[in-house]
Amino acid sequence: MRATMLAGLLMAACLSTVGVSTAAGATPAEIGRIKTVTGVASVVRGKAVLPATAGQLLQVSDVLKTGAGGRVGITFIDNSRFAVGPNSSIALSAFEFNDTTHAGRSLTTVNRGTLAVVSGQIAHENKDAMRVRTPTSLLAARGTRFVVDVGP
Amino acid sequence: MTAAAAGAMKGRASLALCLCLPLALGACASGRVALLAGEGGAPTGGVAVFDPKSEAERGQLTAPNTEAALGAGAVRPRPLSANYDALLSAMPAPPQVFTLYFVEGTTQIAPESAVTLEALRKAITPASDIQITGHTDTTGDAASNDKLSLDRAVEVRAALAAAGLPVGEAKVTGRGERDLKVQTADGVSEPANRRVEVIVR
Repeated sequence: MRATMLAGLLMAACLSTVGVSTAAGATPAEIGRIKTVTGVASVVRGKAVLPATAGQLLQVSDVLKTGAGGRVGITFIDNSRFAVGPNSSIALSAFEFNDTTHAGRSLTTVNRGTLAVVSGQIAHENKDAMRVRTPTSLLAARGTRFVVDVGP
Repeated sequence: MTAAAAGAMKGRASLALCLCLPLALGACASGRVALLAGEGGAPTGGVAVFDPKSEAERGQLTAPNTEAALGAGAVRPRPLSANYDALLSAMPAPPQVFTLYFVEGTTQIAPESAVTLEALRKAITPASDIQITGHTDTTGDAASNDKLSLDRAVEVRAALAAAGLPVGEAKVTGRGERDLKVQTADGVSEPANRRVEVIVR
């Protein structure tokens, strides 16, 4: 019973939005933007499914989805960068960055597929603050370039 | 094995099953993490792996071109087994950084930085995401340097706008004396620290 509850909590933590928006009622802040799109890719924002396009602004809790052969390149406001591979579902679960102090943290959830990461100022100036969650693990960037491959 | 130990193991196994089933539904594949060499000769760094619940560290990768399976248990680094060239082809180019310098205590762009303004005119396109960040040296107090650094960044935005560049959505900030290019004691006039960095993504 306890285990089931824990599992439920874990799942909720995985699926729900952990991000904190800026001021109440304000337009959600831009955390990054899509630079390149190949093949079929979309941005899921709440109930809306938007086709991914170069130049598109991204917000906390957006979910990137790619089809077979789909790829997306993203830059973030802390200078970190992502390459999302085919057949992927990747949630921008949390992202906070103060561009004056460089304090911040981020959490990206790789539900399936592949994600290549080049870390930026969040990881550079806050220990273990740039995190990637997979179905079985939690990762922290302590340097520059890595790939998380969760599979189908 | 005692009956109690066997019971405990069985309990653990069913706990693992309970945790796995609702989470997974097909996504229970443990996957892997690969650490690549730093881009363009940059240091490699590392990536740490934690238990998602307890956040206990399972280990980390620190050597370039190594990977580890993701799942329960300690991280066991092994040589890279996959090629990620196709994935990395989608990685956006690194942001370009342009630095402009200033006359001491002012928001006046130093004459030698005119060439940098010219380079920015060529680098910025309507698709660019632009961050303009001002800095000061350590003369003056921290609060006035916060203001001066922001004023310098605003001045650079104005110069770029005057050149007809699309900087209306550029993010403009001042970091005061927090991020010195050249480390100095407090109260030191240092031309290299009186600067604005323009990042073009």
